[in-house]
Order: sequence, then C-alpha cells, then structure tokens
Amino acid sequence: MAATRRLQKELGDLRKADLKTFRNIIVDESNILKWEGLIVPDQVPFNKGAFKVEINFPAEYPFKPPKVTFKTKIYHPNIDEKGQVCLPIISPEHWKPATKTDQVIQSLIALVQEPEPGHPLRPDLAEEFTRDKKKFFKNADEYTKKHSEKRPTD
Amino acid sequence: MGEAASAAQGNAQFSQLQVTVLSSKLSTVGGLVPSKPDPYAEISVDSQPPRKTEILKKTLTPKWDEDFTLLVTPYSKLDIKVFSNNTFRAATLVGTASVELHGILLENRGKLEHVTKSTELTLEGKGKTGEISLTLHGMNVNMTKFPKKNHSRHAQSHTNGQVASGSSTSSGNTPRRPADGGRSSNRRAPPVPPPPNRSGAASGSANTTPSTTNSPSSRPQQNGDVHGAGASDGTAGAPLAPPPGNPPPSSAGNLAPPSGDPPAPNAGTNNNNEEEPLPAGWEERSDGHGRKYYVDHNTRTTTWERPQPLPPGWERRVDNRGRVYYVDHNSRTTTWQRPTTDIISNYNQWDSWRNQRNMALENLQNRFLFPNPATMVQDDPLGSLPDGWEKRVDPNGRVYFVNHKNRTTQWEDPRTQGIIQEDPLPEGWEMRYTSDGVRYFVDHNTKTTTFQDPRGGQSKGPKGAYGVPIQYERSFRWKLGQFRYLCQSNALPGHVKITVSRDNLFEDSFAQIMRLQPFDLRRRLYIIFKGEEGLDYGGVAREWFFHLSHDVLNPMYCLFEYASHNNYCLQINPASSINPDHLIYFRFIGRFIAMALYHGKFIDSGFTLPFYKRMLNKKIMLKDVETVDSEFYNSLTWIKDNDIEECGLEMYFCADFEILGKIDQHELKEGGADIKVTEENKEEYINLMTQWRFARGVEEQTKAFLEGFSEVVPLQWLQYFDERELELMLCGMQEIDVDDWERSAIYRHYQRNSKQIMWFWKFVREIDNEKRTRLLQFVTGTCRLPVGGFMELMGSNGPQRFCIEKVGKETWLPRSHTCFNRLDLPPYRSYEQLVEKLTLAIEETEGFGQE
Repeated sequence: MAATRRLQKELGDLRKADLKTFRNIIVDESNILKWEGLIVPDQVPFNKGAFKVEINFPAEYPFKPPKVTFKTKIYHPNIDEKGQVCLPIISPEHWKPATKTDQVIQSLIALVQEPEPGHPLRPDLAEEFTRDKKKFFKNADEYTKKHSEKRPTD
Repeated sequence: MGEAASAAQGNAQFSQLQVTVLSSKLSTVGGLVPSKPDPYAEISVDSQPPRKTEILKKTLTPKWDEDFTLLVTPYSKLDIKVFSNNTFRAATLVGTASVELHGILLENRGKLEHVTKSTELTLEGKGKTGEISLTLHGMNVNMTKFPKKNHSRHAQSHTNGQVASGSSTSSGNTPRRPADGGRSSNRRAPPVPPPPNRSGAASGSANTTPSTTNSPSSRPQQNGDVHGAGASDGTAGAPLAPPPGNPPPSSAGNLAPPSGDPPAPNAGTNNNNEEEPLPAGWEERSDGHGRKYYVDHNTRTTTWERPQPLPPGWERRVDNRGRVYYVDHNSRTTTWQRPTTDIISNYNQWDSWRNQRNMALENLQNRFLFPNPATMVQDDPLGSLPDGWEKRVDPNGRVYFVNHKNRTTQWEDPRTQGIIQEDPLPEGWEMRYTSDGVRYFVDHNTKTTTFQDPRGGQSKGPKGAYGVPIQYERSFRWKLGQFRYLCQSNALPGHVKITVSRDNLFEDSFAQIMRLQPFDLRRRLYIIFKGEEGLDYGGVAREWFFHLSHDVLNPMYCLFEYASHNNYCLQINPASSINPDHLIYFRFIGRFIAMALYHGKFIDSGFTLPFYKRMLNKKIMLKDVETVDSEFYNSLTWIKDNDIEECGLEMYFCADFEILGKIDQHELKEGGADIKVTEENKEEYINLMTQWRFARGVEEQTKAFLEGFSEVVPLQWLQYFDERELELMLCGMQEIDVDDWERSAIYRHYQRNSKQIMWFWKFVREIDNEKRTRLLQFVTGTCRLPVGGFMELMGSNGPQRFCIEKVGKETWLPRSHTCFNRLDLPPYRSYEQLVEKLTLAIEETEGFGQE
C-alpha cells in the first residue's frame, strides 16, 4: 500500500519517542491504517485517568488527513459524546501532507489539557468552562474518575 | 425436516440453550362457535420429543414464562407448536412456528444473552394465527467455526421467506404463508435489468419491478406488494429464517474473505457504527490475519465494510438471477446500491432538482446558443457596419458579409479589413485561406504548408477587438457551424421513431436506443410519448432529451455521482459496477449524449469540466483536480510549492484507491512502488497523480461511454472545441442577469466601490452573453446557474456566493477557485489592463490563465 511505508516510519518514530502522554500504541499489523493509543494527560482535571483514542488513516493518506476519535468518554468542551474531536491541524483547510501523526497527537494532547471554549463541540461544557472553571474542573475530575481508563502504573 | 439438522449434527457440538417461552397472542380460534382456547405450547429441537408448557385457561394472550434447557447445535431448528387443550378430545393445533438458530447466532455473533424473538404462528390453510415470543439465553459459540450450510431444502419452511422460489405458488402448495404473503410471494419475480424506476405512485400500475422484460407470468404489481413486503420487513427481514435458498452454485459454507488480495479495510468510516448489530443474515468473521470481514449469507458474498442497517422503508430483494437489489417503499423505486445516508442525501438533492423541473424546463426554453442577430449587432464591439453592408449567416452558421453596393459577398469583415497591419511574411512564404476560411501558410522554400504563422511570437500577431491576439480569439460560432455542417452532411434520410412512456422513460429509451443501429440515431427523431400521440416538430424531442438526461443522471442508478458535495455537476461513479449492467448503460448514455449534440438539443444537468476534457482527449491539469476534490488538490499543490526533501513524506510512485470497501494499489508508472518521490521528479509525480485522480475507478465506464458516443458522433468532430464550449453545446446558454450577479457578489480585500470592482462590472456589462457565460464557467466551473439565480450559487462546502478577492500584482493574470466560486483579481491599474488580462484568462483555457 502506498501509505504503508510512511505510516510504518511514523509509527516507529512515535514508538521511539516514548511519550509519557501517549502510550500503549496498538496497531494491527495487517491494517496499518488504524491505530489505537492511550492519552495520559498530566494536568488537571484529566490527570487522574487515561483516554483511549483511535486514529484512522484514509486510503489516500497523506493526501487526506487522518481522523481521530475518542473511545473513552471524556468531559470536554471540544470532544462530543460520540468521541469526535475538532482538531484544526487535521481539518481540510489546514491539512498538509507533511504533517506527522506525532504533531497531530501533540496537538490533541494540548487541546485536551487546554480546552478551547471558543470552538466547542459541546456548548454546554464550554459555557461551564468559561463561567465557572472550578465547577467544570470538579465535574471533569469526577467524570474522569468514573469513566476513564486506568493510568499506566510506571 | 430433521434431515438437515441431523446432517448438521455430524460436525457440530452440542450446547445448552435456555429457551423461555414467554407469551403468545392468538387470533380467534375454534370452529363454528368462536371461543377462547386453553392454550399450551410445545417446543422441540430438531424433531426430538417435545417439551410442553402449562395449560392456561380461556385466553388469547397466554403468558407462560416457562424455561426449558435444551441441547442444541448452531444448526438446530426449534419447532414451536401452540395447541388448545380440549377436555374430551385431542388438542387442537392453533399454530406453529420454527426458529433457525443459525441466523440468530449470526446476528448476535454467536453469543445469546437474553435474546428475545417474536415470531409468527401460522397454520396450514389459515395463514397467520398469532404470534409467540421466546427468549434465548446461555449459548456462546464461535461462529467462524460454523459457516452457513446450504439450507435450500428449508426454503419452503420459512416463516416469511424472502425467497424468490421461482416456482409459482398460486396453487397454494406453500404450506404456510404470512397473512398477506400469498400474493406478494407471487410477484417476487424481480427485475431482470432492474435499475431504478421512477414510475410515480400516480401511475396505476406502480411497479417496483423496474423491468421491461418481465416474464409474462408475473402479474401486474399492485399496492399490496409494497405493503406486504413492508410488513415482512417489519418482522426484521426473516431473522428466523436461514438465508434464501437461491444462492449461486458455489460450494456451501465456503465463504472466504473478499478476494484474496485486498489489504485491510479502512475502518475510518465505520467507527461510529461499531455498536450497531449486523443486519439479518450477516456475520462478522476474522481472516487468517485477524482482520475483520463480513459475510452476507443472503448473497453469499463477503466484504470488508461493515454493513449498515437499511433505512426505514427500504427492503432488500434478490432477483431471479440471484442479484441483490433494494426497494425503497417510500418512493417506490429500486436501486442496486445498498442505501447509505450519503446516497440518500444525494438522491434527495437530485430529487429536489427534479421537482423544480417545470421551472427548469421553462429555463430550458430560454437556453440558446446564438443570441438573436439583432442584439448581436448591438453587442458587436466594432460598432455598426458601413453603409450598404449587411452581415449574414450562411446555412452552416458561418458569418459572411454582403456588399449591396456592388452586389458581392465576402467572408472578411469590412470593418477590420485592411485595419490590421500585419508584419510582412518571411521571404518565400504566402498566406492562403482554406475553403472554410481558415488561414494557412505556404512555405514555397520547402514546399510545405502549415497553420502556424511563421512570424511566430504572440505579441506580433494581429490584435482582435479586445487587444488580445486574434489567435486566442476562438470563434465559437464558426466552430459550431463546422460541427453542424458535419452533422448535416452525415445525416440519413427518413426518420427514426422512438416510443416511450413517461413512467418508464429510462428503460423504454434504453431498450429502443440500444436496439437501433447507431447510424439510425442520425435520422430525424420522431419521439412519441405513449398515450400522447402528437406530431414531433422538435418540441417533444426537446422534452425527451430534457427528461431523460435528468433520469440517466439519477444517482440512484449508481451510474453518476455529484462531483463534490453540493455541486451540481456529475461525474462517473467509481462504484457503478455495483450495477451489474453498468457498462451497457454507459454505452447507452454515450449514445444519448451524442444524440443531443447531433440533433442540437440540450440536456438538463451536465458533467464536470474535466469530464468534457476527457471527451475531447485533452490533458487533465492539476487545476482541474480542484473542481472535484479540493483536499486532494491542496495536498498536491503543497507538494508542488514546497521543498519536500526534508519532510519525510515517504511517497512513492504509487497510489491507493478504495472502492466498495476494498483498497487497491496502483503503480503510477512501471516499478513505481520502488521509486521514491523527490524534489527532482515530483513534477512527474504530480502530473501522474493528477491523471490518476481522474481515471481511477472510472476507466472502463468512460471507455464504454465514449464508445457509445462515437458510434453516433465521431469524437474527431469535436476536436475544435474546448471543454467549456462543449458544456455550452450540451447545456445551452442562459441569458445572464448581470444585475442579479452584481447584487449577489461579495468581495474580499476589495470594496463594492473599489475601482477594479467598478471596472469589472463595466466589463461584464460590455461583453456579450457568450463571454459572460465563459467568465462564469471560469469562476464557477459551470455555465449553469441554480434556479434561484446567483444568490443560490453553491460551492464545494455549501452555499458560496460569487466572490472577487484582491490577490497578486498587476502583472498577474486573474485566477479562479471554482470550488469557492472565487475570482482572484489583481489590482490592475487601468480598465484596459483589466479587460486585457481578464479576457486572456477566460479565453485561454489551458495552462495560461490558471496555473
């Protein structure tokens, strides 16, 4: 497949980089177009849990951007109930074939830790985040404890 | 009945299954005096001795709620009988039902946890007598070990078999039928060539069978069919029944993953549907590499794509050749393509266009190719002719001039004659004109001729009306005259009669046009709409072209698709092979489109400009990608504009393409999979990728289309035209309302009163309608306008008004972004400069103005 070599290289680089905030990368060898990984935020209010994400690359990668979906529920203004997330770096207007998946992941982690209430997918949470950050943090913290994945122990 | 089951037991282990017989609803039973029965149920596995429930007293809605633990195999069949107990004589059978475990296991991926099933109770000779509900629990098997068996012998015992058994059931030899299934099963004889049929519900014989070649035995379709089928659809499409017994004769239980070579599926589009259960008869399996694939036991096919449940009102059917098609009971139409939300929204868009037909037809009456001569003279930039001169058009559409003073005629315009001072020709050269008035040059030194002006250099050539070299000025009218001449001189005597019904326009037209010899289609057309006998003096034919052109482009036929979201241009659908007859349909459409050109009629909706380029055998440019796939275009442009050496793009001369859930790799050139794209060879890569982007998945179809086309009109006849002229010839021009245009326009980095903007609109008002149309094509990619005018102009991302943006320097040519309906207009210093640059840009279609 045309995209395979590129994705294998990216995957290798990403594994080598051994990010603290993105771990447990699982890629089915027979289908390199689908990656899974665990986002492990280190800032409040999401630093009590971990979040599974799925990255799907189109057959036309890198001509078309990948899609990122959260598989773990998260209390976040920019991530909706279906796990869809609006990430500018992979939007059709901003996508460049040179954009690497590790940049996508970095930007995803940045968005998780610093919500952008200006472009919300869940306006209710965005409003709570803007008006009453304390309450938002409390809710997000509780939600994380209840729904998120276990953090890796090491 | 136990036969299949015992055969199955040979290779399947037993499992425990807990069946709870919940409750039942019974219709009135009994003989002469209707009375409430004393019901009990019996359940047996594979004809083993039955187990019984308690007898309840005097009720039509018994609730037993009794558990039975049964030993079953995945192929077991549960037979349920409901009896009414009688004190003095044998119990009366109220109804029976049977449940095939295999289908239910498939639906639940081998794991049954409190799965509740309701199924019909039927009685021989009486039809439906009630319903019974069961809960199945406690079974957990790996279904990949239990492929579907050949269940054909069970076909007769389905509770509501969707089986096209082929044999007539009118004699009542099917033991049990759904209440209204008797009639409907009779007309399961589905289409032989069943592309959808837009026969409106208004027509009395609403035929969801879109066939023109119905077997004579199949009875006329009635409304009952739709309802009957809808009802059986309601019972979850025979979840209890094994897949129909009419599969192709491939060996049983041998459903390998979809053809050996495909790479893994792209899960990208599927992840939202992961939780939804599979439709009836589908099974999820894993291949040797652990990749998931899906088996459709109904059709005995496999696919990498997870199937989605059908939308409400849709039904899946199989025709008598074993091909699957889908019935939309909402619109009473059929299609080959499994409906998805995308397809349905495309259809709705198409349909709404269709509903604007009357308005569109009115618009069509206003379409034309030549403005009428009176306005032409007024629009003539050279002013009026000298006294005593008259401009005329010969029968071939070629303009000539009459000098009434000395009673002579000439081709040359007296106003430009002698005005244009040309440089002298080189020594030994002579200028001559062909019989068609085309200038050519004779080189007496070498005794050769050429159309190429030996003086060379565009700047030296004579200037036309806009100060643009004449060699850039196309004369659409002249070319059209040539084309008409070719048509007329190749016409055949007599006429050809085509009789169609409005309700079955596509199929009728298809059958007749493909039956005729292609040259017959060059005879005068005589179109008759059945039941509306009237003389066709052109009006009926015009209507036929209009309606049929709309029908063939119906996205439900899967032949064409919208080029990009919310665009009204069509292109060949790469997935059209889902329609087994697609190539012959493309051949038909090719003939039809050629007929429209040949007979000078317009079609309703057109194709993308790159598609016209393909017809003209012109090279597709990078810019053309933008009109159909702006994301792809952006990425290619990025690669072109940036140094890619340090980016680690890891690209090779090959490309992947996903079609119907299958990814194929294509080498852009021989050995391309091993040739890395570098800064040096990237231009070649971009070029090859551009060609591939347009060819991928549509080569066969395009070939069939062009074959059909050239049978009627040789493609060489079109060689003088460019793609925009071809669009104009097919779709016609509309009178463009410049006020509406200006009112709806928006600006970026310009103001409404910027001088360039004022100049722009001055220019638009000064040019004739053909040039306005060309300008419109340049910016929007099509000459066609929405019915609502410029305000409703659409771009690739939804509504997008005509926009002029200030970009670049005065030395640049204007550019366009057709997917955003945007014109990049540099800040020119004078009106003359703007006119010159804009004219160059819109006249010159290739390479020059756009790259």
